Amino acid sequence: MPVRMSRQGAAFYFIALAAAAGSILLLHGALDLVLAQGNPFGVGPRAAPPPPAEGVMGWIFAKQAEFYRMLSGSIRAVKTDPAAVAGLFGVSFLYGVFHAAGPGHGKAVISSYLVANNETWRRGLVLSFASALLQALVAIALVGVAALIFSATARMMGDAVRIIEIVSYALIIAIGARLLWVKGRAFVNELRGGEDHHAHHHHHHDASCNHGLEPAQLAGPGGWRRGLSAIVAVGLRPCSGAILVLIFALAQGIFWAGIGATFLMGLGTAVTVAVIATVAVGARGFAGRIVRGRSGWGMLALRGIEVAAAALIVAFGALLLAGYMVSERMFV
Amino acid sequence: MKNFFRLLAAAVVSLACVNLAQAHPHVWVKMSTQLIYAPDGSVTGVRHAWEFDDMYSTFALEGLQSAKKGVFTREELAPLAQVNVESLKESDFFTYAKANGKDLAFGDAKDYSLDYKSEVLTLQFTLPLKTPVKAKDLSVEVYDPSYFVDFSFPDKDAVALVGAPTQCKVALEKPKDASLGQSSKPMSESYFANLNMGANFASKIAVTCP
Repeated sequence: MPVRMSRQGAAFYFIALAAAAGSILLLHGALDLVLAQGNPFGVGPRAAPPPPAEGVMGWIFAKQAEFYRMLSGSIRAVKTDPAAVAGLFGVSFLYGVFHAAGPGHGKAVISSYLVANNETWRRGLVLSFASALLQALVAIALVGVAALIFSATARMMGDAVRIIEIVSYALIIAIGARLLWVKGRAFVNELRGGEDHHAHHHHHHDASCNHGLEPAQLAGPGGWRRGLSAIVAVGLRPCSGAILVLIFALAQGIFWAGIGATFLMGLGTAVTVAVIATVAVGARGFAGRIVRGRSGWGMLALRGIEVAAAALIVAFGALLLAGYMVSERMFV
Repeated sequence: MKNFFRLLAAAVVSLACVNLAQAHPHVWVKMSTQLIYAPDGSVTGVRHAWEFDDMYSTFALEGLQSAKKGVFTREELAPLAQVNVESLKESDFFTYAKANGKDLAFGDAKDYSLDYKSEVLTLQFTLPLKTPVKAKDLSVEVYDPSYFVDFSFPDKDAVALVGAPTQCKVALEKPKDASLGQSSKPMSESYFANLNMGANFASKIAVTCP
């Protein structure tokens, strides 16, 4: 491994890293400013950012709106004819697939986490499905306990969701910060090593390094526990759509149909998130193959991507949390 | 070093794209709007009637007590109506008005009420202009920039002028629905320039008076 760098050197590189992370934050800040506005009517789930109006994104967006609008009708249909439940579940699944492009499904967080942590696509699948399942369970538990047992108002449920959100976003920041620390150090080490040995051949560019793997650090028994923290951080926040569907089904006297629909939505969500996560993992692997066998900058680039992905996680968490702070005013 | 920046840029852009796809309304509002005029021909304010979709209506009513099950009187809904208008204030009531090209400011909502009929809630309220204004060109838009709420006008009786000079004409400019899924350039410059996308879905009320 490269020699340790001087304190000043380390400080310099961390400032450079912070600047890079800052610019990424800014970019995302611009895109996500509206990420977390409260529900303007004072009761109800949290707001979402604006939709793209055109193109593929616009189409996805239009589809999910279309399926969402079909949900209430489908639930009413089940009330009169239980056989209509197949239709409700189908619509729920499709809604989940298209809706997973929306916030609260941790798609971006999971993808960034996988890239930063250099995870396998299998673990990406597990993370996607487990977090979606947890999200469905939280929504069902919340509505079940709040509405059925305590006959809570929409407002109280909104308050409960906001507490869950704070925990969830704080966890996301913690996970990102931890990754940023680990990956930032690896990046600085790589940078230092790159300078030291640039003229010569890198003695540490053996097979394991070229694959970008650090088995001792990433694949050990602690790996799954860390994965679990990501599942909880992402899956804790229930989906607004699921809560609305559950309440509506409850009001129609067919809570079970709402529960089924929520699980199907979760399944659809998981499918989309898993696809995106797999693409992210694939891109990371592709980048790894490109730099294989190249001199120092290649590894540095990989480390840089990991650092950037870790910084993104922190940024997501911070923006979501900041959004909460802003929206708090709206609920009096 | 070039590689490094290229890869870094690719990573950031791909993640940014993933993140861009986050959007969805959870509340649908069918609205009808009256523009209120004073006898001297100046506009004094806007009166809205917003009909919410059934799922949101059910959600908003969750846990509220009423004397008769499934029936809510205006009085029983008064506290909820108050919460609504107080919260809407933070969002400027989603109402954006211009007179002769200049932005107009609204005061607090008044005469607000909620009605529950056919399993949906309708919120009515009046937004007085801080300063009544005489305008040759008046435009009022209602939209949620974050598109959490989808506002749309019904096909009939969407807009009315109340007490306006007879020569005034009102027109409704519908959003170009066709743009959904039609354009081939999702990442064009205008796409990024238009990040305030809720406005794309807005319907604009335009009033012209001689």
